[in-house]
Amino acid sequence: MNYRLVSGFETHVELATASKIFCGCSTKFGAKPNTHCCPVCTGQPGSLPVLNKKVVEYAIRAGLATHCTINAVTHLDRKNYSYPDLPKAYQISQYDRPLCEHGYIELDSGKRIGITRIHIEEDAGKLVHERGFTYIDYNRGGVPLIEIVSEPDISSPEEAREYVEKLQLIMRYIGVSDCKMQEGSMRCDVNVSLSQDGVMGTRTEIKNMNSVTFIERAIIYEAARQREILEGGGRVEQATLRFDEATGETYVMRTKEDAQDYRYFPEPDLLTVVIPQEKIDEIAAHMSELPVQKRARYLSLGISAQNANLLCRYRAVCDFFDACLKADAGARHAANLIVGTIYAALPTEEDKEAFALPFAAEEFAKLVKYVDGGKINFTLAQITLSEMLKKGGAVSDYIKEEDLAGISAGELESLCIQAVAANPAAAADYRAGKHKAIGSFFGYIKRATGGRADIKAAEQVLKRLLSD
Amino acid sequence: MAIEKQQLEHLARLANLEFGGEELEKFKEGFEEMVAFCDGINHAVAGDTSSIRGVDSRTIDFEDLREDTAQPSLAAEKVLSNGQSSNGYFTVRRVVK
Amino acid sequence: MSGKIARFSAMLARGEVTSRQLTERYIARIQKLNPVLNAYVCTTFEEALIQADYADGLIKSGMAMPLTGIPMALKDNICTEGLPTTCCSKMLQGYRPCYSATVWERLKAQGAVLLGKTNMDEFAMGSASETSFFGAPKNPADISRVTGGSSGGSAAAVAADLAVYALGSDTGGSVRQPASFCGVVGFKPTYGAVSRYGLIAYASSLDQIGPLASSAEDAAIVYDAIRGSDVRDQTSLPSAGGPTPLECDISSLTVGVPQEFLGEGVAEEVKQAIGAAVCAFERAGAKVKKVTLPAFEVALPVYYIISCAEASSNLGRYDGIRYGFRAEQFGDIRDMVIKTRSAGFGNEVKRRIMLGTYVLSSGYFDAYYKKACLLRGRIRQEFARVFGECDILLTPTSPTTAFRLGQKPASSTAAYLADICTVPASIAGLPAVSVPCGIGEGGLPIGLQMIADRSRDDLVLACAHFFEGVAEVKTPLCREVQL
Repeated sequence: MNYRLVSGFETHVELATASKIFCGCSTKFGAKPNTHCCPVCTGQPGSLPVLNKKVVEYAIRAGLATHCTINAVTHLDRKNYSYPDLPKAYQISQYDRPLCEHGYIELDSGKRIGITRIHIEEDAGKLVHERGFTYIDYNRGGVPLIEIVSEPDISSPEEAREYVEKLQLIMRYIGVSDCKMQEGSMRCDVNVSLSQDGVMGTRTEIKNMNSVTFIERAIIYEAARQREILEGGGRVEQATLRFDEATGETYVMRTKEDAQDYRYFPEPDLLTVVIPQEKIDEIAAHMSELPVQKRARYLSLGISAQNANLLCRYRAVCDFFDACLKADAGARHAANLIVGTIYAALPTEEDKEAFALPFAAEEFAKLVKYVDGGKINFTLAQITLSEMLKKGGAVSDYIKEEDLAGISAGELESLCIQAVAANPAAAADYRAGKHKAIGSFFGYIKRATGGRADIKAAEQVLKRLLSD
Repeated sequence: MAIEKQQLEHLARLANLEFGGEELEKFKEGFEEMVAFCDGINHAVAGDTSSIRGVDSRTIDFEDLREDTAQPSLAAEKVLSNGQSSNGYFTVRRVVK
Repeated sequence: MSGKIARFSAMLARGEVTSRQLTERYIARIQKLNPVLNAYVCTTFEEALIQADYADGLIKSGMAMPLTGIPMALKDNICTEGLPTTCCSKMLQGYRPCYSATVWERLKAQGAVLLGKTNMDEFAMGSASETSFFGAPKNPADISRVTGGSSGGSAAAVAADLAVYALGSDTGGSVRQPASFCGVVGFKPTYGAVSRYGLIAYASSLDQIGPLASSAEDAAIVYDAIRGSDVRDQTSLPSAGGPTPLECDISSLTVGVPQEFLGEGVAEEVKQAIGAAVCAFERAGAKVKKVTLPAFEVALPVYYIISCAEASSNLGRYDGIRYGFRAEQFGDIRDMVIKTRSAGFGNEVKRRIMLGTYVLSSGYFDAYYKKACLLRGRIRQEFARVFGECDILLTPTSPTTAFRLGQKPASSTAAYLADICTVPASIAGLPAVSVPCGIGEGGLPIGLQMIADRSRDDLVLACAHFFEGVAEVKTPLCREVQL
């Protein structure tokens, strides 16, 4: 039998607005329970929602960044279901006219994962069950979300990972969300089915995944589980599943029989929103560069593809790197130092995402410019940078102007002459055509200058001397 | 219009209500009457209803939406004042029947 | 002829009476009559006296506004911070909102004096106020009769002079119909003219707060104090500044008389009173025109489908967690919610929640909810057509005068027919007023309803004011508060 994995994603992304979607309460994470609450977000009788403009703007940004069509006329609907974390017993969401539709995200392979729709909605509160008590905190209730629904275009766990990472990166780039999966500001519901010789299978939905690794594992597990059922002649039951991170298995939360009937209808407390085309154009014009665009620009600056990819993975790194470029640092050395030395000091993904350094981009740019100008060599730059990462401070704390001035063209010339004189065998090798032998002079020059000499410049001098 | 008892139970589940057996019988009668009353609209509309939108056609321009500025929230004591709470959380204690 | 509010304001301004004295007299009267009438379900006398003293301060320092120091009442579905607000339901027993409705904020800003919260049908669902958890209020014209509903307590309080004016809410006639039954003026503004923030929702696309008062002039003063856009209610409308003008040239008007409102089921005495009212306009030079609204016949089912659909959603929040009643015996949290709702809601509320759930549920949504929305549009269009040929419509407010308390309707839907005249304007969101236009058998008041085009609230009030002047209907009110 020929089974093919078919997977689609529903991704919830918390928008980084200052206030909630329908009231002025703060969206800040980690406050004491029920302190970011008001009549609206606790569903007090008589309270009414008032739509936050920025939520619409951010959702439009997300739509534009994923090549969606923006519906200039949009409205909100009530999704009725009852759960203690949902104070009104309905979630204000969008049903038949979402803000964004028909987009895609392109994977590195060039394959496009279709985006069916992006709509805005409100988050629910938080429940904790403990020793016969249920504790409810509504701080998160009313925090704005976008739900990004993909087409079932994903056909491997690797594609799933790439899709989520790309989506995460795009949302961070355009500044609409920090997409922290651990904190729940990005969560995925993953649909999995196996098609058999082109015939679509029954799908299951794994709810609320909050780690890329677990998503990959869950898909692998679920696909294997379904395959086993099918190969045993059984039928896959349509169901909602939860992934147990400890066991790495999925288990059923509810089956089709107790499927919800959400009774969607237009939200009568809110008006239909009309977005003028000029506004959409304005939002598009002010959008920050997307990962693909940034990568292309970096490549055009002569950065290697590998480095460009590594830089573009993190929005904060790009901001830092772009600030260096603005301070006239050379792209290639800057990229090499970031990806080599700085990344080494920031081992975790979170560290790199945050990219909190003890010095400013401008300070780093100074160091890079010394390398660019041949005033110090790359090795010394690496050593200095490592020190700066440990202790912070300014470049001038580590490299004195007089040191830099010390190695003048004349000094370098005499150093090179000394180096050749000290190693006649290498000089003979070089002259005999073994050009690699030039390397042995570099060691001498480095030792003599404490690594401060510009090896490239020295190479030019040495070549001249040796060809004379 | 006859409504199946089973359907009523389904609706009650959606609405988070429960009716005792006898209560449901009594309720069923009145409910059927209400549904029959609502069926009065059927002869007035024929054909496809798929393009109909529910609400008022009134609209709001994007620029008139609320600005995103955080306002002070209510004091937690006020938020919690009408419910049972503990340590700042609303609480429900499981009671064994 | 001057309205009661203006009269009291003038006396307050001249120092002939203080707001405290006025308030004390109303309190005494409530203490005497409310045990009979059950118009108030909660009184706030202590707060009222504090508010009265504050109002007296405003008056002394020359900062009085039209409603400063005037004792009034609010329907029990309008949120008042720290004061009981129950919608006359067991479900909201003991609920003291953590915020105040915009209308109450605006009245407080004028120095209004709140005497208490008035009786109503549970969650405003009913036409006789008999579904109230606190028992039905009684009609001051005849205490064996209903007040109408759902703002029955507000109507009774104004009719019996237990408040100078009161606010009610109108979803399908809940201000106008009890006003008609009790013989007072009840005004439902254009949908959105008054903020709904803090009005406990029954059906969001229909609910509208409006005043009940003893004259159109008083209703206009109250309306002017509460209307206008509100940042907390996106569906609220901006309104013109300045007081609503009550004078208008009746002879320049074309009065429409929709034939469907005078069909069978409308009592003969009501038809006669409406006929006389139409003649009064004609005598003043208005052109009278018979008009038809064919979609009228589906107005009631359309109203019940839409209002119950919205109610089923709006009332989902009563789960016993954050406020109100909570069942005592339950298993897990879901069981608690079900037990709480089953014990907390009365039968009529449950019926409407179930109907609303039904018309929105999968497989029935298109057949009921969507069709009702389509017909709602058609009813609007018909009104628009009619207002192309006339300025104001005159109809009965109710097909009959107040019926007996406890009178069992022939069926659970027969009771809905009481709303048949008021529902069309609600569906279309139009301004409408009920003014007393005659006294029927048994001394029971008859109400005249006037409906104008959207945002012509001024015309509705001006016509009501004109009619009061020429009709001189003496409603059998209990004796007024003596000063």
